[in-house]
Amino acid sequence: MADHTVRAYDKELAALGLRIAEMGGIAEKMVVDAMDALGAVDTALAQQVVATDPRLDALQREIEEHAILTIARRQPMGVDLREIIGAIRIASDLERVGDLAKNIAKRTVKIGPEARVPRAVVGLKHMNDLATEQMKDVLDAYAQRDVERAQAVWTRDAELDALEDSVFRDLLTHMMEDPRNISFCAHLLFCSKNIERVGDHATNIAETVYYVVTGTSLPPDRPKGRPGSIAAMATAGGK
Amino acid sequence: MNAIVHADLDAASKIQVKELNFYYGASKALKGITLALKANKATAFIGPSGCGKSTLLRVLNRMYDLYPNQRAEGEVLLDGQNILRPDLDLNLLRARVGMVFQKPTPFPMSIYDNIAFGIRLYEKLPKTELDGRVESALRRSALWDEVKDKLSSSGLGLSGGQQQRLCIARTVAISPEVILLDEPCSALDPISTAKIEELIDELTDDYTIAIVTHNMQQAARVSQFTAFMYLGELIEFGETDRVFTSPHEKRTQDYVTGRFG
Amino acid sequence: MSFYPARRRRNSLWMSLSTAAAALGLGWLLLILGVLVWKGLGGLSFAAFTQMTPPPGSDGGLLNAIVGSLMMTVIGVAIGAPLGMLAGTYLAEYGRYSGLAFIVRFINDILLSAPSIVIGLFIYQVVVAPMGHFSGIAGAIALAVLVIPVVLRTTEDMLNLVPNTLREAGSALGMPRSLVIQKIGYRAARTGLLTGVLLAIARVSGETAPLLFTALNNQFWSVNLNAPMSSLPAVIFQFALSPYKEWQQLAWTGALIITLAVLALSVTARMLASRGTVK
Repeated sequence: MADHTVRAYDKELAALGLRIAEMGGIAEKMVVDAMDALGAVDTALAQQVVATDPRLDALQREIEEHAILTIARRQPMGVDLREIIGAIRIASDLERVGDLAKNIAKRTVKIGPEARVPRAVVGLKHMNDLATEQMKDVLDAYAQRDVERAQAVWTRDAELDALEDSVFRDLLTHMMEDPRNISFCAHLLFCSKNIERVGDHATNIAETVYYVVTGTSLPPDRPKGRPGSIAAMATAGGK
Repeated sequence: MNAIVHADLDAASKIQVKELNFYYGASKALKGITLALKANKATAFIGPSGCGKSTLLRVLNRMYDLYPNQRAEGEVLLDGQNILRPDLDLNLLRARVGMVFQKPTPFPMSIYDNIAFGIRLYEKLPKTELDGRVESALRRSALWDEVKDKLSSSGLGLSGGQQQRLCIARTVAISPEVILLDEPCSALDPISTAKIEELIDELTDDYTIAIVTHNMQQAARVSQFTAFMYLGELIEFGETDRVFTSPHEKRTQDYVTGRFG
Repeated sequence: MSFYPARRRRNSLWMSLSTAAAALGLGWLLLILGVLVWKGLGGLSFAAFTQMTPPPGSDGGLLNAIVGSLMMTVIGVAIGAPLGMLAGTYLAEYGRYSGLAFIVRFINDILLSAPSIVIGLFIYQVVVAPMGHFSGIAGAIALAVLVIPVVLRTTEDMLNLVPNTLREAGSALGMPRSLVIQKIGYRAARTGLLTGVLLAIARVSGETAPLLFTALNNQFWSVNLNAPMSSLPAVIFQFALSPYKEWQQLAWTGALIITLAVLALSVTARMLASRGTVK
């Protein structure tokens, strides 16, 4: 795409993109670290994650202010308008992802000494890996403005939903086995919910990327995770 | 010769332009323009300087006929009748298709006469009825309150924005069907511009509007359809909301986002 | 930095020269007016306006000359101004590109500066000779020929000043061309057109040569256009060259009257022009 006649406009749009990239990096690291802290019951690492969250909040506010100023100054149209709106939406999603990671870290601190069923954490770790990969892919898709990659993330969320179902059943089983597990597993339940929410936010970002590039929205019905309904995934993911 | 064009040349179109070519002497200013203006909707024409948008507008009321070395080929149908045919009564055409120009041009007469003038051309009315028509035209143009006490003072004594609204009132007074606006706000300050944009919104209910403008935000605000032209060709035509948020053509995208040139 | 004093000096020099030139021109004008007033004011009496031109050696007035001048000027303008205006309208409205307009303009410019004695001789040949005698109407026709180019020029210039968009606005309402010209063109340029006519009157008021060959002169009271008619310039010509004191006095008075009339017309034209632009 050619440059704007007024070059400061290009600089402003580029600055927005850079800040999103920075937020994305921080959010990703927070999610990974929060899971690591939970798995290893590392309260120090967990505290670190909690301490990183204000930076993310500040970045989101910066991006919003910057976007509003650009709108006031440039009266953007077409793809520029979609870019700026996209940046605002993605910043909001990334800030929520950071909050979710922070919640997981806080629970890690709470659980602390009474870690009990390491097996249950494995499922969670698997979920988190998937969620982290979604985030990484979708942020790359945003950076490259790659529609197909964004769509892949959008459809893969069904897997994460399916995983969350199975982790849920697993934790229930653990809780029924031994009442002393209930407290620990309850915390893990919340964490699994949070990770599934991270996946949802990755999907939101994917929808935003699709809108920014094409100007139209993805269909409203995302394929929900019913394991084995490959047909459902295939039809929903088609162009 | 056209790119993606709204090929909806159907009965809901007030004006249909078919393969219009226009020449200033030997130079071709419009190349095979085909589009339709829908009734009771506002269509905006945007494009860089010299792209032919004003030329196109002036074909719609055969204004170019005043100048000997300008001619048009093709068809322009107003309610199905070709207005480019040589035996057409131009004065009747211009009574149906009114025009407001870039620079406000009040006649050198009183405000009342400015408006009554056009009416008197076509109708012989008793004074009370004429007064009523003048008042209603001024009310429609949001000018009545400001001038009702000085109807006999010269039209030239008004401010720029008021003069332009006077010109609009003058056009509206003879009850045209189509109103052509050639950059109506480019000589006005922001407040007058806003008043006229509000006026255009109201007028769209009763008239078919075609507006040429350099201000893209204005085009986005007042029109339902937008045509982007470049170097005498129609590049893109479609619903305004779409043309400004996700245009089909790259040149349209470049122009509306300020990447042109 | 060093340019400044030299510039100031040059500036002062040229300013002084310009002022001196203006003063010189103005001085001559004041001198002429002064002499006219000094010599003519004495004879500017009630009698001058009520009595006929006298035989040599006796007292009288200028009534027949004044009336004759007025009549011939009015008739001359009545013939010449409409012709000039219509022609000027043609040139401005229809003749932008036509060859005929170019020729008309060219000839008009020549007529504008043609020596008036030539015009007088021409009218003599065309009107006086066939008629067999001098007449007031021939004089009026000669003046008309002088009026036409002035009115034509100013009409064309003033109509050209009316912006085209105004005409287009009229056409856009569906107004036929003739109405656009009448109601909009003339209306918008009316001050200028009037100024043109006033200037034409001012110009022909003082023309002597054409009247000498056409209306001649008439010592007695006559409002008969078919006979020789008196006029102020002719009377001045005759009286000034004579050796009679009364006649010479009347000549000065006549000159003063003409000058004041032309002055009044020019000032009125100026005032109208400026009022037109302020509005």
